[in-house]
Amino acid sequence: MSPRPNLQVLPGLGQGQEEPYVAFCGHCAERPDPDAAMTRVCTTCHLGLIVTAPVSLAPHPGDAFLMVDGKLQICALSRRCEKLLGATEAEAVNRQVTDLLVPADAESAGVEALVSSIVHAARGDGTVHDLVVRPSGEWGIRWFTRVGPCGATSAALIVLAPEG
Amino acid sequence: MRTLKTSEAASYLNVSPNTLRAWERRFGYPTPMRTEGKHRLYTHGEIAALRDALKEGLSISSAVSRARENLTADTPMLVGALTACELDRADAAMEAALALRSVERAVEEVLLPSLHEIADRHGDGSAPWAFAAGWATDWLVRARRMAPAPARPLTVLVGDATAGELDPAALDSAALHLFLGRAGAQTLSLPVSGLTGLSDVLGNFRPRAIVIAGAAASDDEVARWAYAVRSASGPLPVALFRRGERRASARTTGTVILHDSLAEATREVQQLLEERRTVAAPLRPAAFDPVPLRRSATA
Repeated sequence: MSPRPNLQVLPGLGQGQEEPYVAFCGHCAERPDPDAAMTRVCTTCHLGLIVTAPVSLAPHPGDAFLMVDGKLQICALSRRCEKLLGATEAEAVNRQVTDLLVPADAESAGVEALVSSIVHAARGDGTVHDLVVRPSGEWGIRWFTRVGPCGATSAALIVLAPEG
Repeated sequence: MRTLKTSEAASYLNVSPNTLRAWERRFGYPTPMRTEGKHRLYTHGEIAALRDALKEGLSISSAVSRARENLTADTPMLVGALTACELDRADAAMEAALALRSVERAVEEVLLPSLHEIADRHGDGSAPWAFAAGWATDWLVRARRMAPAPARPLTVLVGDATAGELDPAALDSAALHLFLGRAGAQTLSLPVSGLTGLSDVLGNFRPRAIVIAGAAASDDEVARWAYAVRSASGPLPVALFRRGERRASARTTGTVILHDSLAEATREVQQLLEERRTVAAPLRPAAFDPVPLRRSATA
C-alpha cells in the first residue's frame, strides 16, 4: 500500500459553504431590477440603499429588519421595523441596538449572545444565528430573529419575525 | 459658492431628481435654495458631502447624518480661531463655510453658533468674547457692503434695543440687518435710546416698518421711541425680534412677534412690507386710469 495519504472530497464541506447573496433595498426590501442601471439607491421607495445578504437571510418586502455595525450602532431600519419599534430611521440611526432590542427573558444566554452574534456577523461571519428578542422596556412581546452578515459595507442584518 | 441645478445634483449622486426631492421631504437634506423662478438650487458642498457619505453608508439616514457632521466641522474651526485670536484663520473658516453654503446659512449655521459657544464658554464680559464679537460685527458689516443694492423701495427701521456691542443679541440684530439687506430691503439701525433729531432722520428715510431687536431696553423706553417714530412717520407696523420675556406685552398691542430664526424673521418682515404695500397702495382715480375697467354686459 502506498504511504501517500488518500485525498477525498467530503460532501457538504467543499461545496455549498458560500451561500449566494441577493440584493435588496435597505428600507423597503424590494429586490432591484437586474436590468435597471446600476445604482445604489432603491428606485421603488427612493429612501433606501441597495445592500446584499445571504439568500436564506435576506428579508422580503413588508419584513421588519435592521442593520447594525460592529460598534453595535444602528445603521438602517426598515419601514415595518420603524412601526414595530416606534422610532423613525432618523431617530434610531447611531443609537445602540440594545437601546431598542434586548434578549427575551426566557433566553438563558443573556445579552452577550445577542452582542456576540451581531459583532461576528458585522465582521463578515457567514453563519446565520437564531435568537429571541423583545423591545427594550417592554414585556410580553417576543420576536424570533435571524442575525447574519450583510454588505456592501460590512454589517449585521437582524430580521424580526413577530409571528415566529 | 458653486451651486447645482436639480438635474445636475441628481446626476452627481447617480439618483433621479424624484429621489432628491424625496430625501428633502423625509430627511430635510440636502436643503436647496430657490431661484427667483422657485427652482431648487443645491450647494455643491452639500451634495459632495452626501456623495462621500453614501459610498460608505448602509442607509440614507446614516449618510445624511454623516454628511451633516462633516458640514458642521466649520463651527469648531471658527471657535478655535477666535479663541486663539487669529483673525486670518477666522476669516479662512468663514471662507470655507461660504464655499459650502449661502451667506445666510453660513451666518446662521456657523458664525452665530460659534459666537454663542464662545459667549457660553467664556462669558459675555470676557476678553475672548470681546475679541470675537468685534471680529463678527466687522464681518457682518463687510458682508452687508457686498449685498446687492435694494431693487425695491422697501425701507425698514431697526430699533436697536440691545445693551451695546458686547451684548450677544447685538450680533443677532446685526445679522438681521444683513439678511434684510440681502432680501432687497433698505435698512437703518438706530438705538431706541436716541430720540433727539429722530424726526429729521425719518423725514429722509421714510420707513415702511419698524423692527425692534434685543431685550435689554425697557418696555417704557421702547414705547417712547416707537411713539416718536410713529409721530414722525405715521402708523407703521411694528415687529419684535428676539425680545425675550418682554414680548409678552406685545399681545395686547397688535405687534408682530418675529420667529427666532433669522431666515424666517426676514420672510415675515418681507410679508409685513408686502401686506402694507397692498393695503397702502393709493387708488387711482378712474379718469387717470390708462386701462379703463371693462364693464360686464349685464351692467
